[in-house]
Amino acid sequence: MDYPVSKPIYLVDDDPAVQRGVAALLVAAEYAVTVFDSGDALLACMDELDFQQAIVLADVCMPGIQGLELQARLVAERPGARVIVMTAHGDVPMAVRAMRGGAVDFLEKPFSAREVTTALDRAFAIVPAASPAPVTVSPVCAANYGRLTPREREVLGEMIEGNTSKLIARNLGLSPRTVEVHRQKIMQKMQARSFAELVRMAVDLDLSR
Amino acid sequence: MPDPDIPEIKRASLADDLLEALETPVLILDGNGALLRLNRAGEALTGYTLDEVTGRPIWEFLIADDEIETVRRQFLGCRAGNGPVNNTHFWIARDGRKRLMRCRHTAHRTDAGETGYVLVIATDITDQRVTEEKLTKSRSFLQSIIDASPVAVITINQEGIILSFSRQAEVTFGGKAEDVIGRNINILMPEPDRSRHDGYLGRYLETGEARIIGQARSLNAMRLNGEIFPAVLHVSEFQNGENIFVGFIEDVTDQRAAERQLSETQAQLHHTGRLGAMGEMATTIAHELNQPLTAASSLMGAAQLTLEKNTDERSARAIDLLEDSVSEIRRASDIIRQMRDFVRKRKTAPSLYDINQVVTEASTIALIGAEAEGISVTKNLQPDLPISMIDRIQIQQVVTNLIRNAIDAMTASAERHLTIATGYRDGMIEITVEDTGPGIDGAILPKLFEPFLTTKETGMGIGLSISKSIVDAHQGKLSAINKNTRGCIFTVSLPAGTRNGLSSQ
Repeated sequence: MDYPVSKPIYLVDDDPAVQRGVAALLVAAEYAVTVFDSGDALLACMDELDFQQAIVLADVCMPGIQGLELQARLVAERPGARVIVMTAHGDVPMAVRAMRGGAVDFLEKPFSAREVTTALDRAFAIVPAASPAPVTVSPVCAANYGRLTPREREVLGEMIEGNTSKLIARNLGLSPRTVEVHRQKIMQKMQARSFAELVRMAVDLDLSR
Repeated sequence: MPDPDIPEIKRASLADDLLEALETPVLILDGNGALLRLNRAGEALTGYTLDEVTGRPIWEFLIADDEIETVRRQFLGCRAGNGPVNNTHFWIARDGRKRLMRCRHTAHRTDAGETGYVLVIATDITDQRVTEEKLTKSRSFLQSIIDASPVAVITINQEGIILSFSRQAEVTFGGKAEDVIGRNINILMPEPDRSRHDGYLGRYLETGEARIIGQARSLNAMRLNGEIFPAVLHVSEFQNGENIFVGFIEDVTDQRAAERQLSETQAQLHHTGRLGAMGEMATTIAHELNQPLTAASSLMGAAQLTLEKNTDERSARAIDLLEDSVSEIRRASDIIRQMRDFVRKRKTAPSLYDINQVVTEASTIALIGAEAEGISVTKNLQPDLPISMIDRIQIQQVVTNLIRNAIDAMTASAERHLTIATGYRDGMIEITVEDTGPGIDGAILPKLFEPFLTTKETGMGIGLSISKSIVDAHQGKLSAINKNTRGCIFTVSLPAGTRNGLSSQ
């Protein structure tokens, strides 16, 4: 099996089982994987790494330097570095913080093969810029947001705080069933294929606070 | 009429003997007030002998100057009138001492109707008067104590009728003494005591079985406007011809309110602590379980991708099975997430607070029992600190936790001193808790804030971990250092706010 060197991944996670599992998945998907035990380990050999080519896939929750800090250091010292953070499933506030901090995407653990390849391919499609481009909101995205009803905007606000349908229902005085309907409508109108994508749009639209 | 059985001479001698045997001073004066006779008791009291003063008018030597006129007038009145005259005045003894005497003057007339002599029977009431004065004085002394007492004092008789009502009783019950004296004490109590009080008294008088006398009792009392309030009652009893009961009633409304507030704060802290502990556990478990689930689903994904290179039907079937496995793993992860969210997704309520007040409240609770453990406490709270945008209960939980840790750390130390301080540095408000315990083991220090790490036999090891996540959520910092001398210092740094909100961070 030959590894296309054009798709290198730097995987940063402290858990050996996760390292082995995710590396196996990435190898099977024909990425070239380099594994780091910690953010410090990656920063230590930063000069030998090529952030123009590679995507960094880093866990947010690690001993030593944490994922978000690593991401901040990389974005500051290697402009254009593309980082995808791995967050705990449902930890939306953390994902939002990562996106605001310059991550190109986030993956919720555990993830499926398709989710990880989709996210990586999208990241590789981004041309590394020498300096971080100002966040531009696509006109389509802004227009889509404009089509949301006030109630849907409220539900979206609650969603990107990471609240479950049940909690949103309680906070807004709705039934959980109604909230589910709103969620589907929002996904449709915003043309989001995944919740992660919706969160990214919300971050771009600067809806999260 | 002379008694025929007693000879004349004997009668004179009998009267003489009687006069001399009397312990009461007796004077016999002639119609002009000159002394004819002074008995032995009179000699003893005045210090004069009969021989010295015979024939002298008493106001020349026995009566004080300012009373001479009065006494003389009364003497003349007695001489002229029919009945005996009583009066009270001082006698001046030979040595100059004054005695207060109550004198009964009786004029005896000759057969011709002229005044033969005046008999003066005197009683020394000096001591009695002093006692009366003392009694009056002590009564007013007692009254002034009762009036100054911060506790209401009420006396009742055995029928329950109010006999006295102190000044504080007027304040406590909201009514004037004159309006309640004479009424039944049960007007000052709510039901069911109100209807039963007469029965309580009756039973006590009948059986002598004291249910309330001599012990402090918490109960509800009622003001005259009908307002019911918590009170502590103490009853004493004394005999004064009948049974008199004295009730001391203290209004503990404020005290109860303070106690209630303290226990509410305590309960809130416990609740937050419990939720925080569960949340922290759930977060940790979620993370620990998510890692192997991630590994497993990734491995399955790898297997799927590997199998996709084959085109046979069995491989396609295996890929579907793996797909189903991954979604089951996702379901497991969902359950973990819900469990974590259930306990963690509490809305916090940050607001602007004075850190010193927050620390004072927290330490009041945390220091309960510290003194009994021989711990001395110093508080150095810097005045005029900027206020801070915090969730009060959560920060109190952190402070309480740090103080309890410090107390626990010093149980085996000879020197037990706790210092709680606040200060302001580099735009951050600092709360420090310093102990004189053994300090933190160097091996533990780097992992100090990780969950499930404990040096206590009964600890779960999540207190500091929760504290750290709370402080982190406030954009603050929680740190610990060992002192050069014994002990360690924990510092909580929180961003300072302004009256208008948070200052730029």
